[in-house]
Amino acid sequence: MQLSDTPEPARADAEPPATPPTPIASPSPLRRKLAAAAFLLLGVPALASADPMPSSPSWQLDATGLLYGERQRTSVIEPTARLTRLFANGQALSGQITLDAITGASPTGAVPSGQPLTTTTASGMVTTLPAGQVPTKKFNDLRGASDLSWDLPVGTLFKATTGAHYSREKDYQSVGASESFSLDVLRRLATITIGGGVNRDGVFPRGGTPVPLSDGTQVLTTGTDRKDVTTGLIGLSRVLTRRWLMGLSMTRTLETGYLTEPYKVISIVDSTDTAVDQRTENRPARHDRRAALASSVYHLAKDVIYVEYRYYWDDWGIRSHTADAKYRLELPDDAYLLPHVRYYTQSAASFYRPSLPQGDPLPTFASADYRIGDLSGVTIGATYGFKVPGSRGEWNVRVEYLRQWGPAGSFAGTGTPGGDDGGGGERATRAAAVALPSSKFGAFTSLDIGTIVVGYSIPF
Amino acid sequence: MRPPVARDVSRTRQARAQRVSRFAPVPLLLLMIFSFGILVADAKPRAPQVAPAFTLPARDGTVALDSLRGRVVLLDFWASWCEPCKRSFPWMNSLVQRYGARGLSVVAINLDKDRDLADRFVEEHEPAFTIAFDPAGTTAEAYRVAAMPSSYLVGRDGTILSAHLGFDAKKASEFEKQIAAQLTP
Amino acid sequence: MKPLLFVLALTAAALLSSCAATAVKPWDRDLLAEKKMRFNAYPMIGAVDEHIYFSKEGSTGGASVAGGGCGCN
Repeated sequence: MQLSDTPEPARADAEPPATPPTPIASPSPLRRKLAAAAFLLLGVPALASADPMPSSPSWQLDATGLLYGERQRTSVIEPTARLTRLFANGQALSGQITLDAITGASPTGAVPSGQPLTTTTASGMVTTLPAGQVPTKKFNDLRGASDLSWDLPVGTLFKATTGAHYSREKDYQSVGASESFSLDVLRRLATITIGGGVNRDGVFPRGGTPVPLSDGTQVLTTGTDRKDVTTGLIGLSRVLTRRWLMGLSMTRTLETGYLTEPYKVISIVDSTDTAVDQRTENRPARHDRRAALASSVYHLAKDVIYVEYRYYWDDWGIRSHTADAKYRLELPDDAYLLPHVRYYTQSAASFYRPSLPQGDPLPTFASADYRIGDLSGVTIGATYGFKVPGSRGEWNVRVEYLRQWGPAGSFAGTGTPGGDDGGGGERATRAAAVALPSSKFGAFTSLDIGTIVVGYSIPF
Repeated sequence: MRPPVARDVSRTRQARAQRVSRFAPVPLLLLMIFSFGILVADAKPRAPQVAPAFTLPARDGTVALDSLRGRVVLLDFWASWCEPCKRSFPWMNSLVQRYGARGLSVVAINLDKDRDLADRFVEEHEPAFTIAFDPAGTTAEAYRVAAMPSSYLVGRDGTILSAHLGFDAKKASEFEKQIAAQLTP
Repeated sequence: MKPLLFVLALTAAALLSSCAATAVKPWDRDLLAEKKMRFNAYPMIGAVDEHIYFSKEGSTGGASVAGGGCGCN
């Protein structure tokens, strides 16, 4: 018995994007070319020893546009284009370009103040904030990112994937490379994946890197701070039945270097919880993050159910649970509807401080960034995918709503329609703060986010 | 009783050991997965020595392996959802064209559960060889098909001369030489 | 995190044992061969989501090693 050749890949996720079935009536130019080539061969028996199959490479274009909006805060427009070259031997080379145009305001981390608050930035800019508002910093940024990816199957059971990344924005640069190997075992009922990646990032804050836990007027350096990221992955996927695919994977990410958010601050509050001053934040120079993910894909008669659960833990003390479910409802004419629900909850980092009491000695590390505080979030949305008759392209449109809330929100924000719109919600939070220990109270109550993604894919 | 210094050292060691043991399951798990997986992966089913007989519905009428006794038969197992199968069809067409007169027959057994999908594939790829339909996969079971596509070279006497997993253009030309060697010049 | 790793190792071993499920025959992979039967069946949207959640939450990782950083705040 001779074992050779390229059998059908066992792992659904390892297979290069397959060209969707073409309508019988209109064979593609490629297929016609193929047929012609085969026909040529028929008439030339002398070619018997030569490669009897012409290579059949093809292309695939994927494009998406993201519109992202936070109530009263940031909005983002993000177009992406990915071009993939699929080779006959199973290799795939793809290049992707992403642009991010971000405008709006981001919370500084300071608590709303009872009085107007004047701040001076490292570059000497003076801003004054009206009383009772969540302090935010206006910003706009343009980010450009490019990614390359190369899939190389070796033999019938093994595949290597190599990736490279470069991105740049006003105050941040990221250069990275990744490599992963996957091997089909158990007669291709199971797949083992091992991978690793490194990033050599640079942070160069506008106006220089502020001295940590200072008033923000002193600059530590005007050069680039390094941030190195190393990631490792092990994964296992298994075909359980004809309809059921399950996966387990774990990643460990080690970040070292400048991990502080240069523009974030912490309020110094007096005994009445009134902000009297503020300090720049400071985070440890090392962040060891781990995550374990279990996922399942199940095929019903036509529809498909996707379920995922992730547990995350790190050395900053953050623990999080993420649960995600999608249901693909098949509709006539190759269309589908994909409702999506996601729930996320995390505990705060050990050095998370919504504010610092006046007169207390400053801690070594402190951040009031709500994203490393106690936080929960729910996403609901749906994707509608369809094909335009007569075209091989596939369209999809996704609309989603994401709401995030902190512990203060559960006391004060929930009863306030509009939540974070800077009005009643914030005042309600101030009222709740009196009843809460100040260590439990942050500027963050809740945030509403809406996103629309339009995507188009076409093989050619 | 150990001196206090030694106790300190042992405590540090213990702490290190604890730290190590925390990560120990990871490489251990990997090792286990690899050795176990590869062992089992190697245990591929063996093709039978003599080609099991079958009678299956074809595009018109039926096809029986027995009726092809005396000819060299390339028996191919395929399905519409299998990507390499698409690439194997033009190759099998060219085989029939060149070697049919010299005693080669190609029978491609479809294993789709839905006949419509098979019919659509056939219409698109226009095979010049015999297509048989086995939605239950009985013949695939009998031939111990280990991958899609799989092909078997059946000699004039009905014995299986070789079995091939998958389809690859380069390997196909090797296979073709093997086929040609069985045919009358 | 020993208990979690232990559970993961156990689950992995269970998933790898060939008796965990009746073997799926090579010709029974019709449904598994469909594009929608992948963990990352919607890769473009998945990349967008990864970027969004990376910049709005304290967690990251689980599924992949690729991708670049950002100073998203």
